[in-house]
Formats: sequence, structure tokens, C-alpha cells
Amino acid sequence: MARIVNDVDISVDSSQELHLQKHIDYIANHGKDQNDFEYCMTEFLRMSGIYWGVTSLDLMDKVNLLNKAEIIDFIKKCQCPVTGGISPCVGHDPHILYTLSAIQILCTYDSLDEIDIEAVARYVTSLQQSDGSFFGDKWGEVDTRFSFCAVAVMTLLKKMHLINVSKAVDFVMSCCNADGGFGSKPMAESHAGLIYCCVGFLSVTHELHRLDCDKLAWWLCERQLPSGGLNGRPEKLPDVCYSWWVLASLAIMGRLHWISSEKLKNFILSCQDNETGGFSDRTGNLPDIFHTQFGLGALSLLGDHTNFKKMNPTFCMPQYILDRLEIKPQVLCL
Amino acid sequence: MHGRLKVRTSAEEAARKKKEQDLKVKAYKAAMGRIHQKRSTNELDQEMMTLSGQILARNPDVFTLWNIRKESLLEITSSLEDEEKQALFDKDLGFVEQCLMVNPKSYGAWHHRCWILENSPSPNWQREVQLCTRYLKMDERNFHCWDYRRYVVNKAEIKPDKEFEFCTEKIKHNFSNYSSWHYRSKLLPILQPHPTVKSRPISEDALKEELELVLTAAFTDPNDSSAWFYQRWLLGYSQPDLDIGAFRMSKDKAVIAFTKAINLKSVTEFSLSSLNWKSVSGETYDNTWIVSEASLPEEFIGDSSISLTFEGKTYSLELKNQETSVFGIKCPKFEYEFGAGVVETLKAQLDSCNELLEYEPDSKWTLLTASLLMRAVDRKGYHEKSHEFLKKLQNIDSNRKGYYEDLASKWNIEKKLEEFIESGKTPTTLDLSKLNLTAFYYEQYLSVFDELNFLENKITQRSLSKLKAFHFASKIYLDKDIV
Repeated sequence: MARIVNDVDISVDSSQELHLQKHIDYIANHGKDQNDFEYCMTEFLRMSGIYWGVTSLDLMDKVNLLNKAEIIDFIKKCQCPVTGGISPCVGHDPHILYTLSAIQILCTYDSLDEIDIEAVARYVTSLQQSDGSFFGDKWGEVDTRFSFCAVAVMTLLKKMHLINVSKAVDFVMSCCNADGGFGSKPMAESHAGLIYCCVGFLSVTHELHRLDCDKLAWWLCERQLPSGGLNGRPEKLPDVCYSWWVLASLAIMGRLHWISSEKLKNFILSCQDNETGGFSDRTGNLPDIFHTQFGLGALSLLGDHTNFKKMNPTFCMPQYILDRLEIKPQVLCL
Repeated sequence: MHGRLKVRTSAEEAARKKKEQDLKVKAYKAAMGRIHQKRSTNELDQEMMTLSGQILARNPDVFTLWNIRKESLLEITSSLEDEEKQALFDKDLGFVEQCLMVNPKSYGAWHHRCWILENSPSPNWQREVQLCTRYLKMDERNFHCWDYRRYVVNKAEIKPDKEFEFCTEKIKHNFSNYSSWHYRSKLLPILQPHPTVKSRPISEDALKEELELVLTAAFTDPNDSSAWFYQRWLLGYSQPDLDIGAFRMSKDKAVIAFTKAINLKSVTEFSLSSLNWKSVSGETYDNTWIVSEASLPEEFIGDSSISLTFEGKTYSLELKNQETSVFGIKCPKFEYEFGAGVVETLKAQLDSCNELLEYEPDSKWTLLTASLLMRAVDRKGYHEKSHEFLKKLQNIDSNRKGYYEDLASKWNIEKKLEEFIESGKTPTTLDLSKLNLTAFYYEQYLSVFDELNFLENKITQRSLSKLKAFHFASKIYLDKDIV
């Protein structure tokens, strides 16, 4: 049976040069037109959008291009006075996903004292369930993404003692699969994005010994396709965002050398938009801020410290911020 | 934003599109404005359902609108009888289906569906299972749908064996279906657990059957990875059970090594617990714990064994008295010990792999599986041959060269370690030179040696922090040019 491998061809019209200035412009101008269609349709994740923008620019040492006071003011407006949780945008509901993004931005700006962090900690604590899992918000969706958000927020706020860490770890481990990976909930199929959340979770909580690293990292290195790009599950197409999720997980487990860095770098660079700046999910597609952040972050993890600051694989934030906060997530070596 | 091709358009076309989008933005903003206003005055009514529906039908990811829909549904149905209530909830199920057609991967839409059912007076779980079967025909890899299926199957009280049948059907329809293989790996340990060995996921009979099914699948299309992953799980030896791996104590230092990481501080019954044990990594959990003190209490050195109790189980290790230290080591388990029946199947599979390799000598998955089969069948006998395959894989699957090098390093260290342990010698020196080592494995066992020789290997800077595990080593030979 002949088969077509799910992959892309990056040889045509791909530029192997990093368009640093264009990416800076792309992010700095993102959202300048408040009536832009894409911008409006994605307001439900605005807080994360800002985090991706701030982090990307900070990586390129250009965070001063954004208006810090305006962003902090925006975050203040998004904190719910009742629950303490943070919403993606005024008029939308608080959620743990956007609470983490907001806290990450505030840490970058060294401005945690601008909002009521006690209330944030109470919000996160209130979302933990008796089995150790976390709801995303009061409506009860459970997902290992939320477990990662919870411990990341609480660590950045130095409030880990308020949640039941050992139960949280047990829940995450109950989502571990035969292939060594993790899904969104118990019994769910392994997926590189969720693996990042769970490996990141175990790095934050210093419980990486619970992983079967050889098994999991092998599964992850098998995500690399002939194009050099990484997919998120077997037999799927490559996507720049997995460059981050797979790569960061491998970095935490000390096994980044199990894939070809050179080929991944070429794939990521082929996803740049040579005209507008920004990165798309795959070669030839439209760029967006989400893939731009993960493309740039991956290039930093791959060792380009000429153009980028060093990235911390666990928190997806520049390393200097964690050093300043004296936070040391666990990393393994081989 | 995923999978949207950048297309070149004429200025005219672009202007037309911009106009269209501007109208959409206007409509969105107007509807959102009205929704916010109504919410602030608690008007959770039918109009709210209509307004939120207009936006969600195009963009089901606006999670706040799903929340508003829940609030509105609760409000609208609060005074209704069950039958009328059910009708409204069912209507919303229909709406969710419409949204899932637009975006079958919308977290918000799938969760809203769960919420409706949880809040319905008489949810029809069977119908939901059928919906999943239908959706999985359209996209057999949609993990949202698989997760939802497991949720409703549980509610509908469908037994695992029925789901196992569904899985088998899906796999037979298309072998390249990792999602089904995954589900299978979850169901089998429930249906056919290993009767005696806890660390073995399934019984030998089930294993034999699965091995046969998976090899048929793998050989149908040797380039499809799904079945090969499953095969590796069937063969795969994962982390060992907890045990003491090695111990050594002299007048001024001690080390205890475990098969896997443990928090030694939480072990209560341990005759040496009064010593100042530290984990090598500085972490709470570690597989290597050391003491470095000027003078250790001499009475311990005469002991013939050590033992400790952890979580109700006692572990012990026989010790031998050397001139200046006591020492003990237990050979780690490197593979599962399969029964004769399974070994026969594995041998037959190895033969099949070798036949396939005659036609397709560069088939990556066949080479890898063959080398793993050799290890399972006769690890020592096939040592050279399995290494030869790994060497070949480094070239034909060069993206993962680093992985194959590390795996070869692991197997080489296993061999040397086993030879040393079988020799019954004292841990004066271990020669690990000229083995193409790229990584340190079993470092906890290496902690007991006086001398470690790693000359003429390919160790790099990245591994050097593992050296601190080599607690007893007064001499470690490393290549000069480590980068």
C-alpha cells in the first residue's frame, strides 16, 4: 500500500534567514487597529495574546515598544472583584488560562503588586477538586492544562502552600499513558501540548522522577518529520506551536539532542512571513501572534542567544525573570 | 489560527473582503454590546440565547458566551416542569451539534454538551454514544470526541468489552489510527490484567494475541508508525520496581543506590537513618543518596546486609566485607521475563522482521523493532547484532541520531555492569572505555566504584553534571576534548 506521509514541503520559496526586525514590527503593531477582523474575533483570548506579544518582544529585548502602563491598567480591569480570577478581556469571564497569562505579564513587568494577588491565589485554590484536579473556571471543565496553570500561577506568586500539591501530582499522573505521554484527563490520548503541560507541571513541582523519560522523550522525538517540523501526535501534520511544546518538554528532560535542531530551525524559519513578519503554523500559511511567540521561543531554546534572550522551558518566559524571582523549576540531564 | 493558507489576491478582492469583514466586526460588536448590557441587568432570557447563538454559531471558542448560555438556560428553565425543561435542553444539544460542525475541536462546545447532559432531567446517554460513533467516522483522530465518548460510555454504563470491540473494529478498518490503539492500551489492562506481576500490564495470553494483531497491522504498512508504537508498548520494559540497587560504606563515606528515585528522608525503618544522607541532585527524590563525613560509626562496617522498610515493604541487600569498606550490588532487571509461549511468538516475529529487511533493508521501523525483539529474545546473544541495527538507524533516521546513540550507550553500560556483577569482583575499577558512550545511564550503580574509565567515548559537556553521582570514585578518566 502506497502511503502519503503527513508532512509539508518546505523547499519551495522558503527563506532561511531570520527576519528579526519584521517580527518586532509585526508584534509591536499587533492590535493597533482595534477594528481589525482577526483582532476582534480573538478578543476571548486577548490576555494570552498580550502575554505572547510581551514575551516575544522581551525575548528580542524590545519589550519597551509596548505601553507597560496601559497593559497593567488593562490587567487591573480584567481582575474579577468577586472571585479574584482574571478574564481575557473586559466583559468576558475569569478563567485560569488567562489568570496565568496575566500573572506572567506582571512578572515580566515586575509589577505583581499592581493587582490583588491574594485574591488570585484564593481563586486558584477554589478551583482545586478533591481528586487533585483543577477546574478551568466555576463551570467545571477539568483538564491537565489547568493543573499546569494552577501550579505555575501559585509558584510565581509564592503561594504553593495553599493548594494540595501531592494530590495535584497524583491527578496529573493518573493521566499518564502507556506511551509515557499524557492526555487532558485520565484515559485521554497523549498529545504534545498536554505533555508539555504535564512535564511542565512536574518540573514546577520537582516531581520529574515520576516520568519514564526514555519512553516519553522517544515518543516526543518521533514527532519530528522529514521536513524537520514537529507534529503533536503520530501521523499528524507539523505545526510551529509544537516546536515549543515538544522542544520544551525535551529540554526539561535533558533530551533536546534527540531531534535534529538544524532541521527544526529550518522548518521554523520557513514558517516566517517574509512580508509582514510573524510566524504561521505551517509553511505558506497566515501568521499569528500565538505561532510567532512559539516560533521565537523555540529558536531561543535551540540555542540562538545572539538574537534572543534565554528562554526557560518550563514557564515559557525569559530565564532572567525567573532568576529575579528566585524560582528554579526542575530540569534533568542525561 | 491553524491551517489557513496565505493567498495572493487582487486589490479589488482584498477591498471586497475587508468590507465584508468590517460588516462582521460591526455585527459582532453590536451583539456583544447588547449581550453585556443585558447581562448587567440580569436579563437571562430567550433573546440572550438568540444573541449568544448568533456569535457562537460562527465562533464557538468565545467561552464566555457558553457561560452566558448556561446561566440563561438555568434561568429560563427554573420554573418549568421536567418535560418542558428537557425539550429546551435537547434543543440546545442540537445547537451544540451545529457549532461542532463549524469547529469539531472547540473545547467550549464539547464542555457545554457535557454540562447540558449533567443538568438535563433525563439525559439520553445512548444517543450520545451513537453521536460519537458518527463523529469518529468523520474524523477518527478527534481527541475531543474520543474523550467525550469515554465520558458518555461511562454514563451509559457500557462495559469495557463492548468498547474493546468498537476499538478492534476501528483498527481493522484503518490500522493507522493511533487513537484506537491508545484506547486499546487502556482497555486491555482492565479486561485482561496479568494475574501475578503487577508491573506487567496484561496477561501472557492477551500479549500473544496482541502481538499477532499488531504485527499484521505493522506489516500491512511498515511506514505507518501507529502500530509500531503499540508493538513497542507490548514489548516495552518500563521503569523497574523499587529496590535497593547498590550500597557501599567506608570509614568516611557511604552511598545507597536505588532502582528508581525515592525520598530517603521519608523512610522510617532504616538502620542507617541516623546518618546525614543527602540526595546527589539536591532534590527531594533521587536514586542516589550519599553521606560524606569524616568518621562514620565503625560498627556498621561489619554488617552482612542492610535493609529498609518503605511504604510497608522491606527491601534488603546482601553485603560483602571488603578490607576498608562494605559493599553490595544487585543486578538491575533490563527486560521483562516473558513466558515460553510469548518468547516463541517473539522469535517468529523476529524472523518475519528479518525477512522484511531482506526486501526493505532500510525500513526504519522494522530495524528498530527487530533490535528490540532481539533484546527480548536473547539480550546477550544478540548484543552485537542489535547494536549493528542501531548503528544503521543512526544513518537512515538521522533526525534521531542522538536517541539511537544514547540507547546504544545504555545497552553497552548494561552489558558491562552485568559482567561486573556476575564476576563477583570488588568495585575497584570499571572499564567503560571505547564504547561510543554519549550518555551516562545507571549512574547510581556507578557510584560505588573507586575508578571509572570513560576514555575514548563521545561524552559531552551536557552530561557532566552526572559526575557528582560517582561518589566513591577517586579517579574518573574522561577524554580531554569534551566540548
